[in-house]
Amino acid sequence: MKIQVNARNRAHYFDNETGQTILYSGLRQAVELPYECGSGTCGTCKARLISGDIADGWPEAPGRKYLKTPDEFLMCQCIAKSDVVIEVAAFVQTMEAGTCTPAFLGGHIKSVKALTHDIAFLEVELREPLEFDAGQFVLIKVPGVPGFRGWSMVNYQRHCNTLEFVVKKKPGGGISEWLFGGDREGNEVEVFGPLGRATFYPSVAKNILCIAGGSGIAGMMSILARAAHDGYFTQYNGDVFFGVRSMRDAFFLKEFTSLREQCGKKLNVTVALSEEEAPASAVADYPQLAFEKGFVHEVAGRHMQSRYQNVRAYLAGPSPAVDASIRMLLQAKLTTDNIRYDKFS
Amino acid sequence: MSKVHVCKTSDIPSEGMKTYDVAGGLKVLIANAGESYYAYQATCPHQDVCLGEGFYDGSLLTCHQHLWQWDITTGEARGLAEAPLESYEVKVEEGEIFVLRASALKVADLFAGVSDETLERLNKIARREERNSGSTLYDIGDPTDDLYILESGRVEFQIGRDDRTSAAGFVLVKGEVFGWAALLDQQPQRIAKAVCLEDSAMLRLSGEQTLQILESDPASGYLIMRKLSGLITRHMTGRVGK
Repeated sequence: MKIQVNARNRAHYFDNETGQTILYSGLRQAVELPYECGSGTCGTCKARLISGDIADGWPEAPGRKYLKTPDEFLMCQCIAKSDVVIEVAAFVQTMEAGTCTPAFLGGHIKSVKALTHDIAFLEVELREPLEFDAGQFVLIKVPGVPGFRGWSMVNYQRHCNTLEFVVKKKPGGGISEWLFGGDREGNEVEVFGPLGRATFYPSVAKNILCIAGGSGIAGMMSILARAAHDGYFTQYNGDVFFGVRSMRDAFFLKEFTSLREQCGKKLNVTVALSEEEAPASAVADYPQLAFEKGFVHEVAGRHMQSRYQNVRAYLAGPSPAVDASIRMLLQAKLTTDNIRYDKFS
Repeated sequence: MSKVHVCKTSDIPSEGMKTYDVAGGLKVLIANAGESYYAYQATCPHQDVCLGEGFYDGSLLTCHQHLWQWDITTGEARGLAEAPLESYEVKVEEGEIFVLRASALKVADLFAGVSDETLERLNKIARREERNSGSTLYDIGDPTDDLYILESGRVEFQIGRDDRTSAAGFVLVKGEVFGWAALLDQQPQRIAKAVCLEDSAMLRLSGEQTLQILESDPASGYLIMRKLSGLITRHMTGRVGK
């Protein structure tokens, strides 16, 4: 079946793959359709049906609240039942050469380990390797739970066979409850990706500022892994601000310590605790890291004052935290092309 | 030109902004900067996001979704933005803010920079027309009599003949000009079909009369022809818009 997308700048044509949504089919064929979560919540991939038939895979998707008229739909949830013509009120380009074009991959859960009382470390072994940029995410579907859920990769390597993720337990969050609800090792999963524009590669050639809340630190770890591997912090500064409520919510502190030992003094890591002063034990156990009380964007704002020259910022975490960080960075006159984030959770 | 009441100056925080739904289905954003007030479309031209939820620092307006930005004094695109904001003229009278809804002619990029006098003359020959969803404005082979400026609604174009038609993919918004073959020599016939995708309103200007008016104001005519050649080039390379 043929899909025609009328965009603000031009028309795009691609084939709808059987059983796949219009968004995934378009992205797979290098048409950069608008999306953010790719999983039915953000509403960014809304489009208008001009002709043809579609079937909605998730009529209760929360992202449908952004639709205004009955002919609007979410491209990430809808499958074409005939040739269709749709309209997207945005500028749509084809992906640049060198972009990692998303694909469907199979794999299985290799391990699930607790990082804190409500956060797990998940490893997925792929049947074939995936190429992605540091900072990207994939969508994952597990047996018996409808729909996909997005998680950022923690690790970074070329031709990556094992993807690592940080998963927060969310009451009522279908996939995270499934994952925490029993022994899931060996279960087959479906993976679609890579996705996301908050990417890092060494030719960025700027000082790196990472501000992340909770499980949002995942993508930052991928960025730091790539930067550390390439000796990036011999030349540029790295400032990482990791926000959690209290020490019982903190994780990856050993990993940060070894990154700091590997990268040297140009990389600084500050753990921002929103609900408590840093206990003396934490300061003693992790002498390479700094601890400070406050919301992560406030702590970052204090430390970064007058240090915004040649900075590229990466943001992740709960939406209010990301918005607060954006506001702080705009006030600091950071230009928008140097503020990178993907709101997908 | 119609004058619409929006709010009081005291409703708008200093160096702040608010959005309003006003009469006539207009959504408008009012922003304060120093002594001045500015009015723009209240939704982002990118993906219809409400700009009132964005960030505004007294000079630069930022949409919180994808960080498109605009200069608050002009509405011009800054940074990542790919399109300007539609602006409305503001009148402040005894602490009350009004916006003036200009004719689509004044908003049209094609006529930007044209002298007020010529614009007024063009306005006089403009015929306003409302058409229902699905109606054909012109078909392939029709005479290229009029130039069109979209005031509201949406228009789609089809090229090719009979069963081999395909949409050109252009979605037009307010102030966009189409049917410009009416201004060209030796283009007596339409090469595309224009269809209203929803109820639409537009201004029609006779191509012949428009050219006559421009002949008496060559400076404005020259500007329009330069813009027109840019527009045609973008259509030929498939990159309409910016």
